[in-house]
Amino acid sequence: MRRTYVRYGGGVAFPDVSPIPHEPSSSHERLRSVARSVRPTVLAGERVVPVADGWEGLLPGRGLQRGSVVVLDGPPGRGTTSLALQLIAAATASGEWSAFVDLDGTLGGVAAAGAGTSLDRMAVVRGVSADQWAAVAAALIDGVPVVAAEVPSRLRHSEARRLVARVRERDAVLLAVGRWPVEAATTLRAEGGPWSGLGRGEGLLAGRDLTVAVEHRGMARTVAIAG
Amino acid sequence: MSAERTCCAWCPDWPVVAWRRADPDLEGRPVAVLEPATGAPVVRAASIDARAHGVRAGLRRREAESRCPGLVTVEVDPLLEARTFEVVARAVESVTPRLILDRPGRCMFPTLGPARYFGGDEAVATQVVAAVTATGVADVRVGVADGAFAALLAARGPGPGSARVVPSGGSPDFLGPWPVGVLQLAGSSSPRTTGASGPGALADLLVRLGMPTLGAFAALSESAVAGRFGATGRQAHRLARGLDEHPPALTQPPPELSVDEELDPPARRLDVAAFAAKALADRFSALLAERGLACTRVVVEAETEHGESLARCWRHDGALDASALADRVRWQLEGWFADTHMPVDVTDRRAAQDAAAEAEVLEPVTAGITLLRLAPDCVVPATGRQLGFWGGDPAAADRAARALARVQGLVGPAAVTTPVLQGGRSHAERVRWVPWGEPREPSRPDRPADGGTDGDPAAGDAPTWPGRVPDPAPARVYDPPRPAELLDADGTPVTVTGRGECHVPPAWIRSDVLADSTGGGTSGIVAWAGPWPEDLRWWDRLTRRRRARWQILTDAGVAALVVVESGRAALEALYD
Repeated sequence: MRRTYVRYGGGVAFPDVSPIPHEPSSSHERLRSVARSVRPTVLAGERVVPVADGWEGLLPGRGLQRGSVVVLDGPPGRGTTSLALQLIAAATASGEWSAFVDLDGTLGGVAAAGAGTSLDRMAVVRGVSADQWAAVAAALIDGVPVVAAEVPSRLRHSEARRLVARVRERDAVLLAVGRWPVEAATTLRAEGGPWSGLGRGEGLLAGRDLTVAVEHRGMARTVAIAG
Repeated sequence: MSAERTCCAWCPDWPVVAWRRADPDLEGRPVAVLEPATGAPVVRAASIDARAHGVRAGLRRREAESRCPGLVTVEVDPLLEARTFEVVARAVESVTPRLILDRPGRCMFPTLGPARYFGGDEAVATQVVAAVTATGVADVRVGVADGAFAALLAARGPGPGSARVVPSGGSPDFLGPWPVGVLQLAGSSSPRTTGASGPGALADLLVRLGMPTLGAFAALSESAVAGRFGATGRQAHRLARGLDEHPPALTQPPPELSVDEELDPPARRLDVAAFAAKALADRFSALLAERGLACTRVVVEAETEHGESLARCWRHDGALDASALADRVRWQLEGWFADTHMPVDVTDRRAAQDAAAEAEVLEPVTAGITLLRLAPDCVVPATGRQLGFWGGDPAAADRAARALARVQGLVGPAAVTTPVLQGGRSHAERVRWVPWGEPREPSRPDRPADGGTDGDPAAGDAPTWPGRVPDPAPARVYDPPRPAELLDADGTPVTVTGRGECHVPPAWIRSDVLADSTGGGTSGIVAWAGPWPEDLRWWDRLTRRRRARWQILTDAGVAALVVVESGRAALEALYD
């Protein structure tokens, strides 16, 4: 009776089938197929944090990959903050925690609730100085699975690289809002879009069709989300 | 088997006294201190003049206000009470070093040594009264009896400065005529926080069974009481008979159960010391839990670099768990740190009061804290706690809690917040940023979003807030609003008349928030709605505010909310 060794590494299990030379090849094949069927499968879907309905089209893998850094960039007023809120909102619905590092303390709580966040599982850290930012982000990544953080303007390369390594180690997700000094696999740039509902002297803002430019591993495309 | 002779010093209505010392405006006016409870806040303590009108503990706030016109209600503040009580504790410490604190307002000590020194229990009682009244606390009452419970009741004398001594062995006779409701006072937590099986429910039951006094209850046999009422009843029966709460077969806790933590560098801020205290309390509880013990009295010691030290003994009715221990250490340090305090928003009225209260002279701490020690004084076997079956994912919540506590240690407790939606008109007012660890309660009531009252009659009269800007809500809210200029086509600032009308449409908006998007800071307006006038508190000349809001869309595609007040415009929110 052959023994199959199952080795666990990085949360994914795969069997280690070492060939014995004088076995006939048909039983080899049979054994391999048996090993594949009993392998504890960790679906690629479990490594992804879900995002709100309608926003999955933005991200490769239809969600936030655990262990990755996603950079959100864009001038103010184009929808960057709303994009960040939408991406972290769905995580709280499934019972996980999310955190937002808000450098100048201007995040709108009502907008966070409107994006569908469970407010009792969302922590907002306000008023962090630039020299403490890296330590705070590291501490948050250790315990909170989804962290969205406004990046201070003069973040050092070394600190950013350390954070990327930590994110990968803890299987967390970091949404860096602002200019990220090192290369990231995915960059989302909110480019605004037409607002509906407001007229000249009358009406009320109803919603916006947001255009987001997605760049993933060098390939760029544009996605429009109706709202 | 008789309990040791104890003296209890009690300052009635301590929350009110503490608030009156902190805020001199409250002198001479009826005051009620409210504590949060399920539903609406209830009264926890009321001043004498308020009680004369019928305000009692446990009333809802509206009921109390209707009974006593002119009542001033304030929120309960355990830190303030603990800090103010430190003054009294030091005064009593001049009589005896072995002081045991129950909770702010009540402390006790064994009288064996002081009685021999001062020559009798009456002399000790008069010494305590004199020492405490010298600090400025006018109303203190002292009682001496066998056992903590009897001393507590003996301290409830008729008038301020009364000192009552129950002769040795006379506890059962003294306790006989008291009504069973006083069993609730035995605990050192707030009487209303005990659950349905607590002493309050037991007292009700005893009255209905025909035993309205402690004497009648004490006349029953112990086994009958244990069989009918369980452990709570047995404990209450021991108290009613004049015996002490716990059977005396307690072993002296071995010395290695005390834990200490050296803080290096020394902690100069209260929050750093409190953070270390949390870790220390966790270690302490884990150590005791390993041996199946729970601690009912603990001595908390803190020592500074220069050798000043403060040791206090804290007592608790049940077992002290880690968070209760950490709270008590924090209260003790707060009472001692006269010159440092947690960073709070300086515009907060409470912070201004704190700063004024700290002018009271406690011996100022001249150096940072280097040592914190928790030593158990009295341990009992631990009975454990049954966790719920459908637990959810506590591991994730624990990890997040630890991470947030660490971040609080880095940036201060007020910086790590969670949002709570509450009532209000502007987007800034509709959110309360509650620091992590504090109860998530709104400061203004709001009508529930689905319009239902879900069975709670008080929710039906929750206010609506007319004048709210409807959804979608802006993602960036500036509080205070950033200065901006709203100009019409000729370049003159847009003004709104007293009737809330504006005859010239806005054409340009200039603000440094918008500067990066257009590069100039001035953008043309392509669509707008408004002005939406708002006239707040028009009946109060001092707090009256009149302003008007505009919702604008610039040519760069940026939508913003602009508020105009007294001819000046400001950017209130950005729909980012």
